[in-house]
Amino acid sequence: MSRLPWWVGGILMAGLLLMTFSVFGADRPLGASTYVPYFAGIIFDLDAEKYSYLKEIKNPGAWEGVLLLGALLGGFVTSVFLTKSFRISLIPTGWKKYKNRSVVSRLVWSFVAGFFMIIGARMAGGCTSGHFMSGMSQLAISSMIFGTVVMIALLITGKIFYNTKEK
Amino acid sequence: MDIIVKTAGDDFSSRIAQMFETVIHQGHGSLVLVFLIGVIFGGIIQYTRVDKFEKIAGFAMLKDTIVPKMLFLTVGLASIGLYFMIEAGWAHYHIKPVMWGGLIIGGTLFGISMAILGKCPGTGPVSIAEGRIDVLVGAIGGLLGGLVFTLYYEDFFKPLMGEVAGKWTLPSFFPGHEHLVVLIFGVVVTLIAILIPKVEFFDEEDLKKLPECERPDLKEAS
Repeated sequence: MSRLPWWVGGILMAGLLLMTFSVFGADRPLGASTYVPYFAGIIFDLDAEKYSYLKEIKNPGAWEGVLLLGALLGGFVTSVFLTKSFRISLIPTGWKKYKNRSVVSRLVWSFVAGFFMIIGARMAGGCTSGHFMSGMSQLAISSMIFGTVVMIALLITGKIFYNTKEK
Repeated sequence: MDIIVKTAGDDFSSRIAQMFETVIHQGHGSLVLVFLIGVIFGGIIQYTRVDKFEKIAGFAMLKDTIVPKMLFLTVGLASIGLYFMIEAGWAHYHIKPVMWGGLIIGGTLFGISMAILGKCPGTGPVSIAEGRIDVLVGAIGGLLGGLVFTLYYEDFFKPLMGEVAGKWTLPSFFPGHEHLVVLIFGVVVTLIAILIPKVEFFDEEDLKKLPECERPDLKEAS
């Protein structure tokens, strides 16, 4: 099979979340954005004692760092052997269809969006994994607020940033 | 020959070694387990194809609904399971606080960026693993974002995020009816996942590489 249906994915992801939360597993939520400032601290050689934020994220940052290494391996293996979708590409098909055919435009927008995505995630204290999945599963009010704000911003941006009517 | 791992230094390799060491000593699962959770996480995301630009930016354009369907199903099922696991003492709450500035400004920046990049911090690395160079450039932007956030956290971002208003959960507003609230929430969110109409936006570049019998677009149309 070249891909899993959404409902199988949802059931598996719920199982993985419960395993991560369980005291027999990791006894913590599954998050995937704290590793970014953690790695930034390592790559730009920041003194972890000097910056209060690096001290704050020492444990979750390292945990998610290892998770990320696993996710890279998992994604690579399934893309090569199961979905057969591994290929080097610079611009998504959907971008060509609904935005433009310029590689430079795609790369510049990717860079800018990547920059603000991490600022946004760290300001809110989580991302799609930490807030939407892990937080909403605990019925946390903060995660419901985050989810609502993200959905609205996402859909408005989708409407005005892309030329969806042309084709 | 002995292999010496330096974990006391502050060069790149010893800080990576310190990362592993921190995970080993923090009591949130063994190093192997955390890595394995990552492998399964990346595997599920890749195998369901929800890391694709066409799925995430496609949802922003309302041309694909696989991402919200899968997300809501995950939350619906996990919320019921998790509540009873916590009741049984098999898991604990890890509630993130409400900080109005952080949630609203951060959520807005996050939503706009997610629509443009077509990834989030969990799905992005999976895309990089399958060869998407544009997402790698996005990740470099993200690392700089992480750097700026760390450098100006105390002076700029923390005041902007505001004070902690509270760490609430939905059931805490309905004392005495917690079980019912969780059950209703779980069932409603699961129903939303099922009821969102299934719309799909396929990537021709991916489909071309598959034999006809494996093409999801042909299979589901017939």
